[in-house]
Amino acid sequence: MNIWKYLIKRILLIALVLFGVACIVFYIAHVIPADPVGAILGGNAPPEKIDKLRAQLGYDRPLIEQFFSFLKGAVVGDFGISIKTNNPVMKDIGLYFPATIELALVAIVISIVLGVLLGILSAVYRNRLIDNVSRVFSILGVSMPVFWIGLILILIFYYKLDWLPGGGRLDFFVDPPRRITGMYLFDSLFTGNWEAFRDALIHILMPAFVLGYNSTASIARITRSSMLEVLGQEYIRTAKAKGLKKRLVIYRHALRNALIPTITIIGLVFGGLLEGAVLTETVFSWPGLGRYITAGLLSLDYPAVMGGTIYIAFIYSLANLTVDILYALLDPRMRT
Amino acid sequence: MNRRFTKFFAILCLGLLLFSFGFAKTNVPNDTVVIAADTGIFITMDPGMVYEVLPGKIVDALYAKIVELEAHGDTLVPVPRLAEKWEISEDAMTYTFTMRKGLKFANGDPLNANDAVWSIKRSMKLTSSSKWLIESVGITEDNVDQTVKLIDDYTFTMKFDKPYASNIILGILTNQFASVVNRKQVEPHMSGDDLGQKWLDDNSAGAGAYVLQKWERNNQIVLVANPYYVEGQPKIRRIVVRDVPEAANQRLMVEKGDADVAWNVTGTMLKEMAANKELRIVRVPGHGNEYLAMNASWGPLKDPKVRLAVKYSINYDEIIDILLDGNALKVQGFVSKGYFGYVADNPFYQDIPKAKKLLAEAGYPNGFEVELMTSTANPRPAQAEKIQADLAKVGIKANIVIVQASQMYTKYRERGQQMVIAGWGNDYPDADNLAHAHANYKANQLAWRNAWEDEFAANLTIEAQFEKDPVRRELMYKILTDYWFLNGPFAMLYQTVETWPVRNELKGFEQAAIGYGMLFDFTKLYK
Repeated sequence: MNIWKYLIKRILLIALVLFGVACIVFYIAHVIPADPVGAILGGNAPPEKIDKLRAQLGYDRPLIEQFFSFLKGAVVGDFGISIKTNNPVMKDIGLYFPATIELALVAIVISIVLGVLLGILSAVYRNRLIDNVSRVFSILGVSMPVFWIGLILILIFYYKLDWLPGGGRLDFFVDPPRRITGMYLFDSLFTGNWEAFRDALIHILMPAFVLGYNSTASIARITRSSMLEVLGQEYIRTAKAKGLKKRLVIYRHALRNALIPTITIIGLVFGGLLEGAVLTETVFSWPGLGRYITAGLLSLDYPAVMGGTIYIAFIYSLANLTVDILYALLDPRMRT
Repeated sequence: MNRRFTKFFAILCLGLLLFSFGFAKTNVPNDTVVIAADTGIFITMDPGMVYEVLPGKIVDALYAKIVELEAHGDTLVPVPRLAEKWEISEDAMTYTFTMRKGLKFANGDPLNANDAVWSIKRSMKLTSSSKWLIESVGITEDNVDQTVKLIDDYTFTMKFDKPYASNIILGILTNQFASVVNRKQVEPHMSGDDLGQKWLDDNSAGAGAYVLQKWERNNQIVLVANPYYVEGQPKIRRIVVRDVPEAANQRLMVEKGDADVAWNVTGTMLKEMAANKELRIVRVPGHGNEYLAMNASWGPLKDPKVRLAVKYSINYDEIIDILLDGNALKVQGFVSKGYFGYVADNPFYQDIPKAKKLLAEAGYPNGFEVELMTSTANPRPAQAEKIQADLAKVGIKANIVIVQASQMYTKYRERGQQMVIAGWGNDYPDADNLAHAHANYKANQLAWRNAWEDEFAANLTIEAQFEKDPVRRELMYKILTDYWFLNGPFAMLYQTVETWPVRNELKGFEQAAIGYGMLFDFTKLYK
């Protein structure tokens, strides 16, 4: 089977997954016995008003009809009009998503650098101090809830030490850079706006670390075990026996092979980052897609919640596809 | 090469870290107020559409109205703002408003009666959620052209369908839908028949104390002072509302001085903050109440004696003093303190033998089982548990059901509840507003939802709204309240209290906040 066939198969699978997500999201949104129209109008509103608005928004139509018009729109990226912001949901996503993807990208960079480093060190210095420290660090990362770490770090680095800001993307006296990608770090770099760049950077460090902590831990553990496995292989022994320097053996001979499982895990945790963003963004007042969805949930803004969720599922699938392709390129055995 | 790259990368990371540290400190300048608040519920800044509390107060700061509320002591009184005066016709149905001369919008455009009339008509055409207030006094989308009439550039009239007491009419006119909007500024942004709604969602075109400079949703709202404001430019030149969804973060920001006031800090956190000498806790009576309501069409609750027994089994003082740390007012009538028609009696207290006796007389000596519904919003779940424990003392077994607020209201509107703990937010500061909700089932509000179809209470409520003599009118509300205490389906738990931790640098907050919920006067703030 060649790579094109493989690709087409994967893309069809993605379509199937997205259809499944759409069904589930729609079902959950409509099975909740809550009334979005009542939520818009508040507890004091008279019932006639509520019926009128319900008809206006189309919530009085049969469910199956609503589902099909939702699906029809979703295929072309039209998730309807957000009840809360009054904008097309897709436009809102375009507005909020850059903040989320920026956060996720920085988080993944931090977790790859930190995770791979810790993984190598603990494999090379197995059962020594550094290995034990990294083990404790990883277990904490996997087991502590994101919002709790977030609040504790804010307390330490913002409140006590005053090193980092406590939330938001920029200080309010710093003007955001001209919008190119919507990601402040890149936009300020492109436009040479150093003040905004510095401010955006200090704002993103803490949330990105918190968001990436969990993945850092997973990456460190996976790298460690695959590194250990590779280090026990015969070709490593041969390399050592040849009298090569230890560093060369580790980085050139062992690491490259040990990284294959790490790439898989990176693809998987990237999806997890998007999902973790919902909590991290709330704790750090980060105006991204996660916060958009949470705010939508609280005001029963169905179009926003459904659209946002499907969009995240779509990006998640794309990330997985990218990893699969990378994988296929790195390891020819996977293409069969 | 590999090694060199690693080294380079390490130095780069370290450099970035050093470069960024020590740069976190921000101070709030003296002409700026920073508010930390959860803005997740903010939907629109259009005065014809807004309804929620804090967004409503921000819209009030952006748009001036013909009549506005002012706090005189604890009492809220309607006063002329853009109007100079008003005259009420002999039959009490037509109001003639005379505008002040030389008024300007925030962008410098002249403002006169044309704008006022156009703005009211505009609001009537929109699907505003507060429109029903003015519809309840007879001005509707269909008749607005006949009922709201321009006489000349400085005068216009409004005609209502019945001779309501003037405090009611003027109170209703202080709501956001009566904000005066700059037609000239909005017209270029209209698309289709939206009357500029889309543009006004996140822009302002008013004559209020402030102008909306920018609103980045889920991030921040920035207001700047209006140089042409009718009462003079406010002292604080810039107000920033930062979106901080986590109350714990709001607290840290205020304690550190990065925000002047936190909007959503309550409960134990507030108590802990009171120890900080750099700030103070501001408390004012709120414009809402919290009640336990009983569905008068369900089982044992049909009997007024059973309802009275429930009212005598609750320990109101413990709810206020222990559960809420004193952050509530003991008000058992339906009229809030500070309103026309307020009744100072609090007849109910926990009296278990009396409650048991009443239950026995009603034929339930061993109590009964009932569903007690409430929403997830704090402190409701705790209140439900407290009331469950109190009711258990007289043999009533309450099963608590906690649901999302919107879910609760859906069930409540369909009269599907048995007992419910909920609250009511007021719309204008007159007993009439609350009497309709709590005692007149014909208004389709709370009395109706609880199936208390009492003709006497309904008719007295309707009669009182037309009484011109304030003394007689006050007496009518006293009679109504006494009747309601004995027969009504509500055990009023308390009147809400609004609380804020405020930094000491920010002065005037106590005055600005009086009437919050209905009024917040940003112009009273200074540093």
